[in-house]
Amino acid sequence: MSTTEKTYRSKVTQTEIDMQPPDHAMPAKRDAEPLTLVEPARGFSTKWLALLSGIGCVVGFSLFEAVTFIESNFASSPVATSVLAAVLGVFVLSVSFMTFGEVRGYRKVTQFIHRRPKLSELSRNDARQATLDALQLHASQFTRHSYAEQCYKRFTGLLKADHTSAEIVEMYRQFVAHPVKAKASEVVKKESMASGSMAFISPNHLIQSLMILWISMRTIKRVARVYGLRPATAGNWKLMKILAQNLAAQSIFDLATDEMTNQLSGSLAAKLMENSAEAVAAGALNVRLGKTLMRLLEEEK
Amino acid sequence: MRNLLDSVLKPVRRASDAGSAQFAEWFMQSRHRFTITGLSRSGKSMLFTSLMTILKYRSEQQYQCLPLLRYLPMDLVENMWVEPLGDLPEFPVEEHMAALEKGEWPPATESVAGFQLTVRLRQTHGVKKYLLPFTDIVFEFIDYPGEWLTDLPMLDKTFTQWSDSAWAQQMNEPQNQFAKDWHAAVSEFDFEQPPTPDAINLLVTQYREYLLAAKAQGISMLQPGSFLIPGSGFDWQEYGFTPLPSRISSDLSSPWTQRFSHHFEVFQKRWLADLKQSTFRETDKQIILVDLFEGLNHSKSHLYQLRETLSNLAQTFVYGDPGWVQRHLLRQQKIAKVAFVATKSDLIPAAQKDNLLALLKDVTRGATAQMNKDEIQFEHFLVSAIQATDAGSNEQALRYVNSEGRYMEATFEPLPDSLKAMPADEHYPALPAGVPKDHLARILNGNGLDRLFQYLLED
Repeated sequence: MSTTEKTYRSKVTQTEIDMQPPDHAMPAKRDAEPLTLVEPARGFSTKWLALLSGIGCVVGFSLFEAVTFIESNFASSPVATSVLAAVLGVFVLSVSFMTFGEVRGYRKVTQFIHRRPKLSELSRNDARQATLDALQLHASQFTRHSYAEQCYKRFTGLLKADHTSAEIVEMYRQFVAHPVKAKASEVVKKESMASGSMAFISPNHLIQSLMILWISMRTIKRVARVYGLRPATAGNWKLMKILAQNLAAQSIFDLATDEMTNQLSGSLAAKLMENSAEAVAAGALNVRLGKTLMRLLEEEK
Repeated sequence: MRNLLDSVLKPVRRASDAGSAQFAEWFMQSRHRFTITGLSRSGKSMLFTSLMTILKYRSEQQYQCLPLLRYLPMDLVENMWVEPLGDLPEFPVEEHMAALEKGEWPPATESVAGFQLTVRLRQTHGVKKYLLPFTDIVFEFIDYPGEWLTDLPMLDKTFTQWSDSAWAQQMNEPQNQFAKDWHAAVSEFDFEQPPTPDAINLLVTQYREYLLAAKAQGISMLQPGSFLIPGSGFDWQEYGFTPLPSRISSDLSSPWTQRFSHHFEVFQKRWLADLKQSTFRETDKQIILVDLFEGLNHSKSHLYQLRETLSNLAQTFVYGDPGWVQRHLLRQQKIAKVAFVATKSDLIPAAQKDNLLALLKDVTRGATAQMNKDEIQFEHFLVSAIQATDAGSNEQALRYVNSEGRYMEATFEPLPDSLKAMPADEHYPALPAGVPKDHLARILNGNGLDRLFQYLLED
């Protein structure tokens, strides 16, 4: 077979390299590393330290006062004075440390809310790297080992060089935003059940209100933690508007149930009905609290 | 008494079983028929092997493959199984995986094979969950030698029409480079002699040699391709034919024209018509695989003849949106969605993928013009059934292990984004990548299949 041999210039240059090719890892398994909510380590927290040292101060100053009283009669006691000064020092230090943490938590809430990614805008962005940077900026706020951080790690493991912005955003929704939202909904549901149960068994309105206040605060903290945010107590003030709505609505509901109780007299059935209604309402309001918080922490629309 | 009861109840049971099967098919199954159309060496077999492997590992072992395939969410996949498709031989996925294990690429397809893949999804919708607890997504795939595909346009031609067009193609670049011996043999051939079996055999053998040589040099439009592979069911030694010079083919009284016309009709009726009916059955979605590297490897004129081949093929299939009533009640199938896919996209650096996609769009321009006319939805994709290469030391480079086991770095000059931009005297040699040792992980890390199937499956 004779062919007219043409010579073509090669536009690919090749060289042998003296190294071994990397081994590709298998893709991650979905249930190999189940994503879990990581509970913070329990232990001697700064709040407890502050409280205890405060108590120590009270006790110490009382003691000091007692010693002073004794000294005023006899002589001053340098040892006791030193001990009391040390306890006071610890108290001041721990209060300062806690204040610093609270300020940081408060600022984190502000940052978190302002740095929420606008996913629909990002998906229209032609610059792939800019999209990744925006998501990374948001993800950098996730606390270590949080559920959101675990989801984000899984998402980054699936990224490929040729994914477009729209595909990256779609995957972010699929592997981060939606699972986090689902987990947060699960937490809200669980907390609402707890809230309802507490409302049902509470003997009076004061205890009931305190219980609801406590569960609401816990819901805020737990939902925020799912989203990778640890707001600290001061940071919770940023989210307090929602809590206030919750409590205000609860008060209105109390009025309504009181009125209903008056109408139905004080029978046992009426009491049961009142408590049931309050339990349902407390649960529902907790759901509303959780949902509002989730909207606040989700992507910016 | 019992026999009597059985004889009465049997038809009722059969009708009830048939009814429940029909019910399941209507309401619990979503059937997607795919035609994967690809010329020889376009990577059909590897694509099937990869797809089956990925889906298997995804559903059975929960590997997070195909992240963009939202139509089949991992959370909802309950089960997946493969069944034979009609009377077609089973697709040899195990043999292909064994070949990869031995460090060899799956062999070229020489006969037809098919399979039906069913993915069962759990129903999550509140009420539907109780009435229809699952939905089956059924895929039908048929693998066949690419050489058969190029023969399909011959169905609508007479021998003289085909002979003239085949002759004209051989005169064009780049085919004419390989047809010189064939043309010399024809010019010396004595067409005054009667078309005895020996004389026909001599001519057919010469023509076949040309076809084989041209195939080896990356020519895709070779007719009849069925003459080239042993798995074809047509006896080309008894009913062989070749294109004839127009001075012979235009003379209808020539015994050569008469004999070859007869053989051509036998080829159409006994082989092509059956082939189209059984293998190229009517489907609603078509994937057209295009190996751009075959063209880039050889020359600009190879890419032009690839464009011509694709344009011819697009005229062979029935396109149109049949609508819900026609599709579900009247069972009419037309291809309503088409994906043009450039395979082996891992053989270029990531930075050049935009250019490769643009080149794919340009090469398929003739075919897409036909689809635009029929208002058919189509899209272009880059796919790698296996990630056989690694990133290189810079954006324009990549690394691969060649067939001799040496680790190479290839640096690319920018790829042309259109045929016009491809220099006539330059080429991009195809990288002879060997099968990587970690081929399973690299199959599962393959690229673009999720994007492709999401497009085809979504409404």
